[in-house]
Amino acid sequence: MTTLAVENIVAGYEKGLPIVRGVSFAVAAGEIVTLLGPNGAGKSTLAKAVAGLVPEREGDILLDGARVTVPAHALVRAGIAFVPQTENVFARMTIRENLEIGAAVLPRPRRAGRIAALLETFPALATRPTLPAGRLSGGQRQMLAIARALIPEPRVRLLDEPSAGLSPALVSGVFSDIAAIAAKGVAVVLVEQNVAAALGIAHRALVLVEGRVAHDGPAAPLRDGKLLARLFLGHVEGAEAA
Amino acid sequence: MNPQFLADGILTGALLGLGGVGLTLAYSILRFANFVHGDFLTVGAYAALVVAGALSQFLGGSGIGPFSFGWPLIIALPVAMAATGALALLLDWLLFRRLRRRGEEIVLVMASFGASLAVRSLIEFAFTPEPKYYSHDLQIAMPLGFSVRATPDQLAVVVLAGVAGIALHILLTRTAMGRAMRAVAENPALARVAGIDPARVVRATWWLGGGLAALAGVFLGLTVQIRPYMGFDLLLPLFAGVILGGVGSVPGALAGGMIVGVAEALAVPFIGAAWRGGVAFLLLLAVLLVRPQGLFGMER
Repeated sequence: MTTLAVENIVAGYEKGLPIVRGVSFAVAAGEIVTLLGPNGAGKSTLAKAVAGLVPEREGDILLDGARVTVPAHALVRAGIAFVPQTENVFARMTIRENLEIGAAVLPRPRRAGRIAALLETFPALATRPTLPAGRLSGGQRQMLAIARALIPEPRVRLLDEPSAGLSPALVSGVFSDIAAIAAKGVAVVLVEQNVAAALGIAHRALVLVEGRVAHDGPAAPLRDGKLLARLFLGHVEGAEAA
Repeated sequence: MNPQFLADGILTGALLGLGGVGLTLAYSILRFANFVHGDFLTVGAYAALVVAGALSQFLGGSGIGPFSFGWPLIIALPVAMAATGALALLLDWLLFRRLRRRGEEIVLVMASFGASLAVRSLIEFAFTPEPKYYSHDLQIAMPLGFSVRATPDQLAVVVLAGVAGIALHILLTRTAMGRAMRAVAENPALARVAGIDPARVVRATWWLGGGLAALAGVFLGLTVQIRPYMGFDLLLPLFAGVILGGVGSVPGALAGGMIVGVAEALAVPFIGAAWRGGVAFLLLLAVLLVRPQGLFGMER
């Protein structure tokens, strides 16, 4: 069943200069869809547009079939959580305070329970909850950002390059966490430059080239890299046949 | 060194710290240097004067114990804080909210200059430039040891400023709104995707900043005098304290205000009282050159 449907999104930062040009895709519950593409293809802009962070946006976002019209801050309550690529934790605040920020959208009686549950899921965060987030390593920051966004139990997770700046060992840990999140029924949209790691856990891949969808299909056929290389070089599927 | 100068500096520093909190919150959350903030101190002081004056008709004007102020001023204090917070919100609604949408900081700064001038002129028109006092009773400074003397009112101001600082710390670290304010100050975009309503935080910032400015204004009026320029004259040391402590840091604003207040007072025996304002300016320059992020600030 489709959890998130993105219909004909046109988005950018200035009026008349769209970066994303009419993109549509859908994500089912428990599915991981990775957005791939060369630099400047519009992957992050598309994720931000879905999260309500891009000033110029046209098109529709549907959550469980209902059109979402709320501003960015209300999307969390609606069930869409976005984790930015960089500066994704409040560095001056402690680990616990970061989690409390995430829990503030929940009814008061549920907050402590959700924070405890997330600290159980990410035990590395539980060891020093009073440590300022700015003193965490890159991997720990990513873990904290993911944990904070998970607290309200979103139905859709948008992750913008969660592997950015992480060592290979940490990347595999973060991607295992993402796969585990999807296995619980969350629809995941994963923007990623680390193509191999993203395709390793994704069910489907959406390849963007110059703001348009060049490929939308299962992730497996892209894993050997040949089709992906052609797509990155600008070969839009169907164009050759035509 | 005469310890009396240190004691005087602590009193001034407590007022600068309280006044600076609203300034640093506005700077970090609303993203502009709000020059009308000094006049919020003045508005608070005059609002308390009016309310206390009216209440003294019913409650009497005599002071409690050794203090020059009585119940009328104690009751007038929260009223003045609320009135100043409401004025801050009104100014935001009329002026800053519209300009903020354009996203140009310099326009907001210039607008705050204009608003400052307007507020100050209105106060001068309504109350005249003549200094006013909450009480005309003469207070005798008590010896505190180490050749230091202070009036009961001065002691009350330092203690109450400390209590206000602790209450503020609790508000910002233990409540959801306090954490939301710190989150927006640090990273507004991330705060939005974390579910924080920026409009709610902006309203809370004006309430809190205006209220604390009023508190500092009443304390200043209690220990010195009430004048239309009392807050505006404090702008430079207020900004110096905020920048010294680190823009956006509330503990930094409190500590920075205290350092500026003490430094000014300690400089008086060497440079004279007329030049004490220059100390704040020198501190401001030194911090900007050596550690622009301030003592408690983080590099951006």
